[in-house]
Amino acid sequence: MLTDKLILFIAAAGDAVSKATGVAESTAAVGAAVSADAVSSATVANAPVTGLAQIFGRIEYFIMVPMVYLALLFCLAAIVLHIAAIFKAPAQPYSLRIYPAAKRPGLAAAIDAFGMPQIRRRKPVFWVFLMIFHISFLLLILGHLDILPQISLVPEASRDMLGAGLVGVFVTVPLFYFLFRRFRSPNREITVPADYLLLILLLFLCLFGDLMSWGNSWTANGFVMTKQDFAQYFGGLLSFSFADPRLVLHGSHYHFVVIHVLLAEVFFIVLPFSKVVHAFLTLPINMLRRK
Amino acid sequence: MTMDKQMQEELKRLFETKLNRAMRMYLETCTHCGNCVEACHVWKSMPETRYTPVGRSEIIRKVFLKYFKLEGKIAPWLGEVIELDDIALDRFYDAAYSCTGCRRCMVYCPFGIDTQMIMSIAKLLLIGADKEPKLLSMLADMSIAKGQDVESSQSGFEEAVKNLEPEVEALWKTAPGRKTIPVGTENADVLFVGLSGKDSIVPAAAILNAAGENWTLSSFEAVNFGAFMGDLERTKKIASRIIAEAERLKVKEVAIVECGTAYRVMKQQTGKHPFEVVSFVELIARYLREGRIKLDRTFKPRLTYHDPCQMGRNGGIYEDPRFIISNFVRYFIELTPNREMNWCCGGGGGLVAMGEPEFRMKSGRVKAEQVKASGAEVICTACENCRTQLTDLSEHYELGIKVESLTDLVAHALVK
Repeated sequence: MLTDKLILFIAAAGDAVSKATGVAESTAAVGAAVSADAVSSATVANAPVTGLAQIFGRIEYFIMVPMVYLALLFCLAAIVLHIAAIFKAPAQPYSLRIYPAAKRPGLAAAIDAFGMPQIRRRKPVFWVFLMIFHISFLLLILGHLDILPQISLVPEASRDMLGAGLVGVFVTVPLFYFLFRRFRSPNREITVPADYLLLILLLFLCLFGDLMSWGNSWTANGFVMTKQDFAQYFGGLLSFSFADPRLVLHGSHYHFVVIHVLLAEVFFIVLPFSKVVHAFLTLPINMLRRK
Repeated sequence: MTMDKQMQEELKRLFETKLNRAMRMYLETCTHCGNCVEACHVWKSMPETRYTPVGRSEIIRKVFLKYFKLEGKIAPWLGEVIELDDIALDRFYDAAYSCTGCRRCMVYCPFGIDTQMIMSIAKLLLIGADKEPKLLSMLADMSIAKGQDVESSQSGFEEAVKNLEPEVEALWKTAPGRKTIPVGTENADVLFVGLSGKDSIVPAAAILNAAGENWTLSSFEAVNFGAFMGDLERTKKIASRIIAEAERLKVKEVAIVECGTAYRVMKQQTGKHPFEVVSFVELIARYLREGRIKLDRTFKPRLTYHDPCQMGRNGGIYEDPRFIISNFVRYFIELTPNREMNWCCGGGGGLVAMGEPEFRMKSGRVKAEQVKASGAEVICTACENCRTQLTDLSEHYELGIKVESLTDLVAHALVK
């Protein structure tokens, strides 16, 4: 049913975009009266809708709505298949433990997985960046979920996302460190193109995210898009309304949102085939040396 | 160099047989963080990427990507995949036989990836391609053949053992009515499994007799060349000789001589048995705790102890050797680092058996420096491989340190 609906909406995307442009025009006109930022969006909206703009509009709609579902569905299915393939394989016939033996193997494995003491002891600077990155990444996921009005960790009325942009920065800065440390020996020699590309993908994904959650507030008149705007977009996705996000995400920053969403989708698609799977395997793999 | 298609298929099949759950996780989780690099004594002594745990594993990982992962087929350049050919096999050899299987890198890795296990793929494929070290396969096959034809070698073995008795008596006078070196005794409490040389049997026999143990000597040597080759089938066949003997004699315990690999194979990798498996070092410590043997505490030279990787980090025997040493040594110095962080001597993984003196001496530089820094006059250990390697290092680097077997030192310190 959902697939049929999806196909139908992809086909109808062109119409939706054309209509949405019209709505955006009027919305932008209203916005222009209250916000100087809306001037830019109004300029865009008032521009004649050429064939090219229509094509871009359709592409943006596809990225912002149907592809979100496709990428997430693909990611979930591929992760489940990937992990299932690993756990379907026969177990190791003998223990791979190292000694001294942990009194509580499960706890020891959890400390290894979440505290990374092996790195803290030998590369404390790397460890600090790793901890900041991983904790902030979890907060970032939470921050995105918090956009939904049903969760509301940050008051619904707040214009900011969780951390007011700081969480994104705490993810981005370590990514620069992770990338640049790969240029130094001996890390350079053990790095493959996939490692660089994954870090670059994450870096740009986060930079565009920062632009929205933090950089967004740099404009003279405050936020172009607020948490409430994103909540409406998320609400549309959650209710499978297939409404054009342009109706709720105003201003020229919309194109950056599209790029951010596109990069997130690419990330979701490559995730099951990338080293990011370590997130799902770190606990069971650490159990092998503890049990 | 292109490999015969049939051979390539056969090697891929062999590779697949190794892909159990743990191996898949080991191959798919490494994030190339590089934390393991400094763990390896070979890299520390010769800093080349191919001598890093991740460098070794990557060769296997890149072949895995090419033949067993979708991403390796769609975008091979992303993971720099490797074709399974003769060049790859040469790299497998270089990786597998420059790794002693010490598993020190497991202590460093945030995921605990076992490089020794990944190297078992390389070793298996080398066997499949008939490119394994021939000396090891010959020694392993000889061990297996001995197990298949015990009777023909038994009389010669018993006679050779008889010739050792005066040396045992010189260390400890056997109680009247008891055999100095009992062989093939049914219902013995302990089956002692030695090595082929007399040095492993004589001191152990003296200690067992001093403790008044009801013991018997195994007809087989403990060393398992199959394990050095990473050949699970040969490893099992070699171990099964001892298991069958222990079951036939209905012994309560099998005590493994100072050989880390033999101990680990018997203790951890051969399943459950109707008897217990202990290291001879554990047995000595038990005799001391129970007051069954006493040692003369007059050993004056400054002594240090080298934790064999397969007994310490991979076997959990850290405190018993130190307890034994505290019973006869006046000045004990710990190596830095020690226990699970101790540097591998560089002789494991079959390297001592294979010879390889140049590589062993080069890769053992960090060990030699560690031993020298301890300021000890004597270093003792509980593994024959380690003892041989440490002796060679002492000579090569002119360390001026004497290398001893712990069992031997105990046998010479026995008092009434």
